[in-house]
Amino acid sequence: MSNVIELKDVWRIYNEEAEEPVYALQGVSLSIRHGEYSAIVGTSGSGKSTLMNIIGCLDRPTRGTYMLDGIDIENRTDDELASIRNKTVGFVFQQFNLLGSMSALKNVMLPLVYAGIPGKERKIRAELALKEVGLENRMHHRPNELSGGQQQRVAIARAIVNKPSILLADEPTGALDSTTASEIMDLFGRLVKEGMTVILVTHDPETASRANRIIKVRDGKILEDIAMGTVS
Amino acid sequence: MNVIELLSVAWQGILSNRLRSALTVLGILIGIASVITLIGIGEGAKQEAEKQVQSLGVNLIYIRPGQVSSMGISMGQGNAPTLTYDDAVAIRENCPAVKEVAAQYSQSFQVQYGEKNTMTQVNATEPNYPDIRNFYADRGRFFTKRELDDAARVCIIGDTVANDLIGEGNPVGKQLLIRGELFDVIGVMEKKGMTQGMDMDDQIFIPLSTGYATLFGLNQVTGKTVRNILAQSKDGEDWQAQFQITNLLRLRHNIQNPEEDDFMVRTQVDIMQTAQSITGVFSLLLGATAGISLLVGGIGIMNIMLVSVTERTREIGVRKALGAKHNQILAQFVIEAVLISMTGGILGILLGVSGSHFISNIAQWPTVVTPISIILSVCVSLAIGLFFGIYPAKKAAMLDPIVALRSE
Repeated sequence: MSNVIELKDVWRIYNEEAEEPVYALQGVSLSIRHGEYSAIVGTSGSGKSTLMNIIGCLDRPTRGTYMLDGIDIENRTDDELASIRNKTVGFVFQQFNLLGSMSALKNVMLPLVYAGIPGKERKIRAELALKEVGLENRMHHRPNELSGGQQQRVAIARAIVNKPSILLADEPTGALDSTTASEIMDLFGRLVKEGMTVILVTHDPETASRANRIIKVRDGKILEDIAMGTVS
Repeated sequence: MNVIELLSVAWQGILSNRLRSALTVLGILIGIASVITLIGIGEGAKQEAEKQVQSLGVNLIYIRPGQVSSMGISMGQGNAPTLTYDDAVAIRENCPAVKEVAAQYSQSFQVQYGEKNTMTQVNATEPNYPDIRNFYADRGRFFTKRELDDAARVCIIGDTVANDLIGEGNPVGKQLLIRGELFDVIGVMEKKGMTQGMDMDDQIFIPLSTGYATLFGLNQVTGKTVRNILAQSKDGEDWQAQFQITNLLRLRHNIQNPEEDDFMVRTQVDIMQTAQSITGVFSLLLGATAGISLLVGGIGIMNIMLVSVTERTREIGVRKALGAKHNQILAQFVIEAVLISMTGGILGILLGVSGSHFISNIAQWPTVVTPISIILSVCVSLAIGLFFGIYPAKKAAMLDPIVALRSE
């Protein structure tokens, strides 16, 4: 299978011109194949957030090359990155990050709005995505009328609605109790089975253990890259 | 993303904090409403002034004595006995651009009818006065040339005088005493109201010759002076008439230096211009006052938009992460500001228009809401939204999505 993510000697340096530059990433090379279920783990300050930002096209490498699904990320404008994020990356955040003034359905439709998809198709696809995560009965509820687990399901529906190449989940269970967390992790497992490439970013070993591959990051470098074999 | 979607996104932003949006709308609403109302008041004053000047007559030229200064001491304008009846005759005979002339001499006298009496202005003039002033007898008639020549003791009374002295019943045919002299009432003037600060209905008209002979005590020997001379130019020849009259009077009064003129010749256009310049300043002042409140409203929008951008930093981060481009975020916030200001503008127009009607009804002050002031208000509120919305929107659009997502 071809690689969806291809980082070669990626550096991310903050304040490079200053006296004490911060080396957040120091020559990271990493490949992730289509359909892989991997977890990036590390303590805070390890550089895993920076790595996630670069993988999610929210940030650019200072040095090195990054190919996302065959697209070279180098020298892209902000608007081009926005467009790439829209089409190829699905984000799931720890704090869900749903827009409180909109219904679940409207939240899920949001990426399609920015993708320029016509209204009718938008609604159909958003409804399908919500069905996928088991929330067909909660479509018109606002986030504050939903439980934490339900909110995270809405966020996952929003992440997958535009059929991205990768699903990038940043501490997806960090704000949930263990039962709900387990349900959410089951949902990721199911998406992987359906062919989605999922990348978890977490400091929690139990969450990470669900993935097939664990990438340990420390001091801006990849410390370990362990393949676990089977999907849990 | 099309316009309707941008509008709906912006609308949701407005609805997400209704009270705050409503208060911001209120700022613009009050600004626009005061602009519409105050300009309406100014415009009403202007039209009222024009109407009053027009009601003076048609092609009217007003000639009155100027100031006489004796050894450098001015005796005040308009009170010098420098204009005579002969001047009026000379203008009639020698100025081709002048159509009609009526000399006037007026003085206040005690007037009696039966048991009642009143103090009123007695205006001695000539038979063509009604045509020049566009002010006619309503009942009965004005006096004739014949009655002027005969110095007949006839009078035409104003509406107020008729009510005060005679009350009900037809005054025509009755007799009244002016300073003890008996006069026949042959007519009652139509009601005209106030013109240039003078109650046109509180006066009595008599032939000029009668006035000289019986009331004012003026004759050939003392000199038949007049208070003023009304002239009417031929159509479109007002400035020629003004020129001819001025030159004629300078010749007759033996004046070489125009600065020493002992008379003033003003056309209706002059009077109109004076009135317009006064009401123009009035309108400008009112407009400026209202403009300031509009500016304050605009700053209110900017303030609220800045707060809104700060509060919604995370929302902006989420939208950017999901693929919103710079211009889409910019448009969202600019449109939000424009929607707020336009809502304020349109409600302000409604309030301003009804406010103007209210003032017209309550204060009896004419207000005129012109289509231009409405169109202007719409444009101004649009411009305010754009101008004060751009900066906060730019701030939003420039946010780094990573920083924005991390904000609380």
